[in-house]
Amino acid sequence: MSVIVNEVRRSTYLDSIVLMRISRQLAELPGVEEAGLVIGTPANKEILREAHILGPDGAKAEPGDLIVALRAKDSAAAEAALAEAKRLLEHPEISGAPALENASRTMRAAFQRMPDANLALISVPGHFAAAEARKALAFGLNVMIFSDNVPIEEEMALKREARERGLLVMGPDCGTAIIGGVPLAFANVVPRGDIGLIGASGTGIQEVSCLVARAGGGISHAIGTGGRDLRAEVGAIATLMAIDALEADAATRHIVLISKPPAEAVARLVLDRVARSRKPFTICFLGARDLALPANARCAATLKAAAELAMGRAAENGPTQLSLLRADGGKLVRGLFAGGTLCAEAQIVFRQAGLAVASNVPVPGAAAIADANRGHLMIDLGADEFTRGRPHPMIEPSVRDRPLIDALADPAVGVILIDVVLGYGGHRDPAGHVANVINSHDRRPLILASVTGTDRDPQPRDAQVQRLTEAGVIVAESNADAADMAIRAIGG
Amino acid sequence: MIVRSGVLAREFCRQNAHAEVAAVFERSLYLRYADMFVCLGAPAIGNGPLTLIADFRPARLHRGQGASISARGIMIGDAARLSFDRCEPWQPPRWPLALSPRELIDVGQAIAARSAIEAPAEGLGRVHAQGRGETPLGRIARGRIARFASWLRGALETDRVSLAESNAVQDLIGLGPGLTPSGDDFLAGALALLDALAEIKAHAALAGAINASPRRLTSPLSGCLLRAAAAGHIGEHLHRAIAAVISGDVDTAVAAIRNIGHSSGWDMLAGATTALSVVATARSPGSRRRP
Repeated sequence: MSVIVNEVRRSTYLDSIVLMRISRQLAELPGVEEAGLVIGTPANKEILREAHILGPDGAKAEPGDLIVALRAKDSAAAEAALAEAKRLLEHPEISGAPALENASRTMRAAFQRMPDANLALISVPGHFAAAEARKALAFGLNVMIFSDNVPIEEEMALKREARERGLLVMGPDCGTAIIGGVPLAFANVVPRGDIGLIGASGTGIQEVSCLVARAGGGISHAIGTGGRDLRAEVGAIATLMAIDALEADAATRHIVLISKPPAEAVARLVLDRVARSRKPFTICFLGARDLALPANARCAATLKAAAELAMGRAAENGPTQLSLLRADGGKLVRGLFAGGTLCAEAQIVFRQAGLAVASNVPVPGAAAIADANRGHLMIDLGADEFTRGRPHPMIEPSVRDRPLIDALADPAVGVILIDVVLGYGGHRDPAGHVANVINSHDRRPLILASVTGTDRDPQPRDAQVQRLTEAGVIVAESNADAADMAIRAIGG
Repeated sequence: MIVRSGVLAREFCRQNAHAEVAAVFERSLYLRYADMFVCLGAPAIGNGPLTLIADFRPARLHRGQGASISARGIMIGDAARLSFDRCEPWQPPRWPLALSPRELIDVGQAIAARSAIEAPAEGLGRVHAQGRGETPLGRIARGRIARFASWLRGALETDRVSLAESNAVQDLIGLGPGLTPSGDDFLAGALALLDALAEIKAHAALAGAINASPRRLTSPLSGCLLRAAAAGHIGEHLHRAIAAVISGDVDTAVAAIRNIGHSSGWDMLAGATTALSVVATARSPGSRRRP
């Protein structure tokens, strides 16, 4: 029989977000059937009564009191949940993240706690990031700078200083890395293997590492460089040092470079270094044309092709019957992407098929949206115009809601193309969120998706794929496959 | 140093009171004296009638600490001394001109559609759209909001509201989760909307019903904020949102609302759109409302 327990905390005021978060955490504990944290107003007691979680103690609470109300399947589950509630309420700061028992307030204190550490991950407001990175370098640590808004002059100075010390600076704005099998920031759970990745693009690294993993391969290390490393001012300092590191790493057999097209002089510099390597390379400079590659390197036009070349075999295409898919009604494709590199890859697939395409972040050969005359559109929802004052769509999938609703309602749109990016750092149920939006609308153009992730991610890919397919979405094996299916569906 | 002060916050400080730290958050704290509260916080929290903005972080302060308040400044134990020497008063700008009733109805529908998807599941943001999986709050709130809308319609049409009928207002007070219960935020949003559309009598009727309600219906902190709203004092983010609503700028309204707590902003928007629908309908040609 169910057990109701209430605890009343006198004159307790906590942030609403903390109260909601603790409520949810309690509700997810084993054996807990219902949980709520509300102030003890008469109206709220009525709600608790309606939810069958109001006990005698809660009934006596005053409006300034906080009621912790639980209903569990037995006494043991109720007591355990109440103990957890007390712990979270005593330390509300830990309710949003795992307990940081080793948290240190300064770089020095952190280094003293972990003298064997060889890498510092810096995630502070951009204005302070360079100063923290310098401290880390002074302690002999390699640095991953997750922060953005770091001036390029600071990036240049930091990377030069690091090079002189024989250390690597990944970033700024480095969103993804996997070092020694440990995913850092936005990254997926992939097996260790013999393919090394170097990328200026976070979602590019994620897509390639996941395609490799799902095809049975593994990643030795994935080194992010930050989006500006291949610009002429920075001169590919991190990329060249990453190549040196993977060249020296016995566990790395094949190296993949992923980036937007670099400045010409920088591309020459990087490819000269590739030519001196003893290892084979795959070069995926998305949108680049006429690359003169050394003999040990092959060019991949898409992320999928990069994964296939690195593996030495074609990735799975999945069971979908491509030829059977047809868009009803509308003839336009609307791509709505959380991943900027996935948006770029979709544009490239369209350009390769000879189709005109426009984007808010166009690749070479694509049009800017302002210049487009109502054609196929690929929207990068991580761009500033969508994320100003809001989290990135990989964290907050509702950023896509409005554009998705507009596309669902637009009779000219025959195919909607979306990506779902899983892994650490991302939303816990992005596919479920998209499915809810789709299910709340009657009109259903053909909706095609890719799901970047693995079954071992915090949001297992198989369950996420199921959420989408239940909503009528066709899930392709890769982002490039989804774009290709969209083209076939409109008869392109 | 305190750089900006809301009207009511400055009045509070002129009382030369010994207050107490009632709550401490990451970027702000609340000081309490009797049943009055002021919020002291960093600029990012936004201006408000009961807010003092300072170059300040409440680290090392804790609930229950004594605070000495005067017209010259605030001292909280030995940990914080903040002066009013360079403090400027804050007041919201004037409301912009409103759209036509027909256009306002469209704006209300557009906001309801956004809220149905973007508002958090907790609170009243989705109450107009919830179907399957409705929460206990939603089940209780739906009928009460309908009664409130009916009460407001009556207030607009007859200019007379009896105290007995004001149960439709009181039933929302103290209802729902959060530091400020969703029902209180809902009413604050409705008050702001009525003020923005210059519905003076309806605003006065709603404020009267709130002020006549028993204090025990909600928490002392939320009651203080609600009474401020009833007196026509609202915060910067809500003001920006409502100004955008009556101008038809839904994106700006939603962006402003996102700055207010977890679900509080959406609750306020739900109250504002409920009132908007009632007022716009009453103003439409053919309504029974007396000129």
